Amino acid sequence: MTVLQIVAPPLPESYKTPSAPSGSRIAPPHPSGHRTLLPVGPAYLNHLRLTLHHAHSFSALDKHLEAERDRLFALNGDASAAEDDLGVGDEEESPVLLSLDPKEWKKQDHYAVLGLSHLRYKASPEQIKIAHRKKVLKHHPDKKASGPNAAPITSSIFLNGVSQNTNDDAFFKCIQKAHEVLTNTERRRQFDSVDPVFMELEEDMPTAVEVKNNKDLDFFKTFTNAFELYARFSKAQPVPGLGHVDSTKEEVEGFYHFWYNFDSWRSFEWMDKEVNEGSDSRDDKRYTEKKNKSERARRKKEDTTKLRSLVDLCLSADPRIKRIKQQEKEAREAKKRGTAPSGAPAKKTKKEEAEEKKKKEEEAKQKEEEEKLARAEAKKQKAAAANAAKKAKRQQRAAEDAA
Amino acid sequence: MSSKTLPNGSAEAPIEVSSLPPVVGINFGNTYASIAVFTKEGLAECIANEDGERQIACAIAFHGEEIYIGNQAKSQLVKNSKNTIAGFRNLLGKKFSEIPQSRSTTSAPIIQHPDIVDEPAYKVEVLQPAPSPLPTSNVTSQLNTPAASHAPTPRSEPIPAERILSVSEVATIFIKSLIQSAEDFLGKKVQGAVISAPAWFSDIQRAALEKAASDAGVNILQLLDEAGAAAATTTTDVWSTDLQADRTQLVVDLGSSSLSLSLLSIREGLTYVLASSSIANVGGDQIDDKLIKFFAADFTKKTKTPLAVCPSTDIQDKRAEAKLRLAIEHTKRTISASPGAATCSVESLKDGLDYTGSINRMRFDMVASTVYTAVADSIVALLASAAVDAHEVDEIVYVGGTTCLPGLDERICLGAGFNEEIETPFSRGTVVGGGVGDPTTILARGCAAQAALISSISEDAELREAFTRDTKANRVRATTRTLGVLLPDSAAEKIDNKPWGVWVPVVQKETALPVRRTVSFDVGITEESKRFALEVYEVKDAIRVEKVQAEVDGDNEEDGEEDEIEIKRKTVANPVLLGALELEALLGIKAKGKGPQAGKWTTTIEVQFIVGIDGDLEVDVKEVGKHGASGQLRVPAH
Repeated sequence: MTVLQIVAPPLPESYKTPSAPSGSRIAPPHPSGHRTLLPVGPAYLNHLRLTLHHAHSFSALDKHLEAERDRLFALNGDASAAEDDLGVGDEEESPVLLSLDPKEWKKQDHYAVLGLSHLRYKASPEQIKIAHRKKVLKHHPDKKASGPNAAPITSSIFLNGVSQNTNDDAFFKCIQKAHEVLTNTERRRQFDSVDPVFMELEEDMPTAVEVKNNKDLDFFKTFTNAFELYARFSKAQPVPGLGHVDSTKEEVEGFYHFWYNFDSWRSFEWMDKEVNEGSDSRDDKRYTEKKNKSERARRKKEDTTKLRSLVDLCLSADPRIKRIKQQEKEAREAKKRGTAPSGAPAKKTKKEEAEEKKKKEEEAKQKEEEEKLARAEAKKQKAAAANAAKKAKRQQRAAEDAA
Repeated sequence: MSSKTLPNGSAEAPIEVSSLPPVVGINFGNTYASIAVFTKEGLAECIANEDGERQIACAIAFHGEEIYIGNQAKSQLVKNSKNTIAGFRNLLGKKFSEIPQSRSTTSAPIIQHPDIVDEPAYKVEVLQPAPSPLPTSNVTSQLNTPAASHAPTPRSEPIPAERILSVSEVATIFIKSLIQSAEDFLGKKVQGAVISAPAWFSDIQRAALEKAASDAGVNILQLLDEAGAAAATTTTDVWSTDLQADRTQLVVDLGSSSLSLSLLSIREGLTYVLASSSIANVGGDQIDDKLIKFFAADFTKKTKTPLAVCPSTDIQDKRAEAKLRLAIEHTKRTISASPGAATCSVESLKDGLDYTGSINRMRFDMVASTVYTAVADSIVALLASAAVDAHEVDEIVYVGGTTCLPGLDERICLGAGFNEEIETPFSRGTVVGGGVGDPTTILARGCAAQAALISSISEDAELREAFTRDTKANRVRATTRTLGVLLPDSAAEKIDNKPWGVWVPVVQKETALPVRRTVSFDVGITEESKRFALEVYEVKDAIRVEKVQAEVDGDNEEDGEEDEIEIKRKTVANPVLLGALELEALLGIKAKGKGPQAGKWTTTIEVQFIVGIDGDLEVDVKEVGKHGASGQLRVPAH
């Protein structure tokens, strides 16, 4: 099919569809034998099939070719099963990607360069290896010299035969850099921490204003996405999900507990400023290092706060907490009333309702506070226990020495 | 990877994964041959023989006990010309009486075969190895003769002998050596080959070529016309991505001894010859003669030594001519490849005097001018005989080493009145540096691609046979006029007193039937009506000539002459309305942004034309996308 880059003008208002004379036919074609096809090329083969096997019917030929393709696919599918590429696939490089400057390697998206943008941080070392091999086979400078596009398009005859594309191996260098980064676990972690795609998605995190103002916001959809995005940074895997409307109390509490104690491996070394290469000054280096360090700490802190506020926001907007509170309250009341039948709860006035809401919020806050306190307490206790253990050891040692 | 380390050299050989059968394409010319194979990357590539030559001279030389084949044999033409055979392809299948005897050949003389009636043959002098001496007999040594020496008895001198070779035998030897080179390259036995043959070869000549090849142990998949081999290369994807799938192509095949021109109609890869011509006596040899004369005159001027060449009579002059003929090969290649001057150096050209001369492109083009003109004139004559305007030719393809000369391309483009934007390998810059447009390898690559195609046909003999024999399926009916859709526009200029509009040709003229073509484009609609209309027309392609006043340069103002420049444009004539469709767009979209198209409504439609074998036309129009509008139109056959 040919796609033409034209836009026909709209129909004039006064247009009337002309009617063709009923006898109009196409001009008589050249009689058979006037033209003789050259028996050349795949197009000729298709023409032969069309005329010899399918009685000039294009639909029949289409069906045949389809079947043939399926058959070949099945054949090749079997053959390629031997060398499984682990789902790496073949990603086409966009022109933007191909024009990357290897000098700016810090800014490039290493996953996209290796054709792994569908896997990203999930890519296993084997997959990275396979992807790298694939890309190298395709983009090696030695390959390019003899490829179909190798011949330079020259406008001047004086440049004939002179290779004008000195940037031939630029993308290859990018590939090598990407491979270097992604195969080193430490550097890959650093890059994953500031993965450009993640950074973009991070911008779309739900904010407090959004959640409050947007009444018909889908709580679960919004927050499930947000937490799943962050889950990658957890040192502890698997990460508990947000769950659904009917999650039990334990599940909900477990979720919030996990996320309030989130242990992240995210770090920000990638964004460090380079120490000036030329300068030998130790002071200069130290100064930059110091600045980098503080910057890293600042970013890390920012990140932690961000996540924290996200969890807070989630908690405050979580419809399940309300439900759980309500249930607890009912249970308490039921207990208080003893064996009294649990009838329909009395209708509350608006004021009551508002009060209840406020109370709940307060409770939530309190709970949070309590949690914090409890955590601090736990820490203290842990420290105390450790101290005690140490003490006991020391005493024991003293006793042994004395003995 | 295995953890166990293996000593070097014990690794297993890599398993061949290529599913392609080992097939080769051979361009078997009269002067040069080339071989190509189909590589794993799906590209046909011309390969070099053991001497590193991609252009293998069609020559065989016998010298003593040795046989030289290819470019080595060519250099034997100087001193051993009577034992060197060249230019034998054109004699294949010919009778002795058919060969003109007047031809002065620098190679081995053609004689009447002593045993076969009316069969041409070559007589060469060779040295036959003498029969090995009789083995020493134990019986005799036990008797009264002294004990035989342990050293082997030296062989006696080889015996001079005469060898008679028929043309077919010579061709067999040569093809065998080509196949051997290909097998060395592939590392596998060659299972089939496609060999090129000129279009003017008669059936007898084709049969003779086929026999010579099968004697060499080659399974011939197809004998391909040279124009066909060129088309096999030019219809592949690697040839060019910018060219139209439907185009008219002129193949200029300038060999050393003849010129063949073919005007091809290429319709999505389906190709047939619109017109062709073959002109003997126009070729690279003529350029050679002129160049030799030029250098010989230069030599005489520089050394005051008379040198009469082309034709030369004196034995000294003959040798000098042969030396120059070998040397200018290099000069021509240099001229083709680089814009600077090219040198020609011959040691001891005549009377022990060395010669070094140089020629630049401009001088070269002047020397070769008559040949260039002859080629351009032949093209004009061919186009006239086919009633095709030069502007209707979309592309020129060059074949043969002589066409590497940029001067020839310039002369053809200007001299035959082609469109300025005509596509040639030179305009795309794919001639030098082993590009896809390299005229010297085009035929071999086409043959290789064809060999791979034929060997991939698994289905049945009927299809395979169609490639080798002239079957009924080859003789096709073809359209005579162009079919397309017109998108009416009241503001457009008028044709036949009716406002014409945007014309979208769908099925070009000279397209083999049955044909199916699909085009897709955008049509504008208005926000209120959402209607669009398509009118199906059959038109005759025409060229409109506009005369434009030439801009007068400041220098020429005094002349007072007003030059008129003719500008030719493609247009249509005699439109015949076949039907019309009016549809309501369901999937219109409004362009956003700030461009000139902003706020305008458009929709994308797909138009499919099917012209059946009898000439019935089916037009299908549909909007691209789910639940789009659609419409059909049928025009029955006669």
